[in-house]
Amino acid sequence: MEAGAAFQSYLERALETYGIEADEAERAVMAGVWSIYEPGMDLLRDADLDEVEPELLPDLSAPPAR
Amino acid sequence: MSALDLPLREQAAGISSGEIDPGKLLDACLARIETRNPELNAVVATFPEESRRMLDEAPEGPLHAVPVLIKDEWALPWRAEQVGAASVPGVRLEPGESGPYRALRDAGAVIAAVANMHELGSSSTGNTSVYGAAHNPWDLERCPGGSSSGPGAAVAGGLVSGVVGADGLGSIRYPAAYCGLTGLKPTFGRSTMEGHHIANTETIVSGPLCRDAADSRLLASVLFGEELPAGRPSGLRIGVIREPYWSDCAPGVREASESALEALRGEVDGEVIEVGLPDEDLVLPAALLVAQAEEAAHLTPRNLNALSPKLGVINRGVLKLRALLPLSLTARAFRVRAKVRRDLAELFDRIDLLAWPTVPAVAPPLTDPMIELPSGPASADAGNARQGVIANLTGIPGVSVPVGLDAGMPVALQLLAGWGADALLLDAAEALERATDREFVELRPAALA
Repeated sequence: MEAGAAFQSYLERALETYGIEADEAERAVMAGVWSIYEPGMDLLRDADLDEVEPELLPDLSAPPAR
Repeated sequence: MSALDLPLREQAAGISSGEIDPGKLLDACLARIETRNPELNAVVATFPEESRRMLDEAPEGPLHAVPVLIKDEWALPWRAEQVGAASVPGVRLEPGESGPYRALRDAGAVIAAVANMHELGSSSTGNTSVYGAAHNPWDLERCPGGSSSGPGAAVAGGLVSGVVGADGLGSIRYPAAYCGLTGLKPTFGRSTMEGHHIANTETIVSGPLCRDAADSRLLASVLFGEELPAGRPSGLRIGVIREPYWSDCAPGVREASESALEALRGEVDGEVIEVGLPDEDLVLPAALLVAQAEEAAHLTPRNLNALSPKLGVINRGVLKLRALLPLSLTARAFRVRAKVRRDLAELFDRIDLLAWPTVPAVAPPLTDPMIELPSGPASADAGNARQGVIANLTGIPGVSVPVGLDAGMPVALQLLAGWGADALLLDAAEALERATDREFVELRPAALA
């Protein structure tokens, strides 16, 4: 299944599952926005992050503890 | 020249010395809003009685009796913020003393009006708002930038010399770039955020939009509650990441920014160092997901099915899309944040600043906010966000400095520094101003010249 069609399929099922109403214009926006950001999201999904230590209670006003 | 056209610091000095009558200054500000705002739509509310009360009760302070504006993202005691929208899902907005209001009041400033913003702060363009779009004073048919669209248009349009905005994913720096202004995104947590409707934010900060670095320093010091000292650093190590932050910019933007970089290097007797950032391509998706997670608690089916039809269709669609994003992606975004923060910390051991164009192309048309880049046509939002969000994802400060024109529209260089180095950023911005004889901070839109 092509990426766009896969998203459309996911979208339809997710909207129905969660009971979220969306008209045609809103669905078109969702598809358009997703098409812009999907490549980045795919990179994020596929990135090897297993060895990255999470930052616990990060203080974003300062550099991370090292 | 009217006293209204002076920088904030000179207005404050003139009032202090008795050379400027503060009552007349406020009247001039309100009159100018009345004259110019119909075509700028930078201002969405004035309240002369409250403004005059602030003036009458203004304490001595660094902005004593100086008129400023505040973005529609902050509550005032007499007016709830509207965030540029008909409603905010799941949030009740009420009048009150927000942190920026208190900081301005306690510094003696007079809030003359509320400035427009992009609906829900959701775009870098400023072309959508419940009040109608604000217009760029450099070309009224072009985007002023967002989400602090009104602050950008107001300062560039000469309504005031300083506005308090907010920067969630670049929302101060983009309008500063599009409108030829200086805008500071402070280090996370340094500027007051009390009363913001996203109380748990880890990406949004309040900050100044002004004409130059000295005024930005003054207004930032008020928002920080501490004076940001001015200095003249030398020997700065300026890091440059070419791909994609420089390479995928419109030629006119890249050339003006390269000239500015060289001018800055010469002025501070510094060096330009080519550096890299591992996982740069994960920064944008991670930042988008971390930011959206802050509001996700309100994205329930009940709230989403009750969205106001007056909310723009793009935000209605985006909000519903956000509610359906897989949790695993968001969890990975926080993992990326941890890694990028560590990588940046190591990078800032070797350099003092990072530099690249604030936005990859000048302000696009309001009706079609697309830009042309070497990589092909792109939405302005996608291009801008790529350049700006790293500061919000990681907490570091950034400043946008005007450095030229491309086809008559402002071009800007962004400087980023390590956590807490806000004053250094403003020092560098002032060094850039000196190196260019203040040419670009003194430029005014032709219609106002």
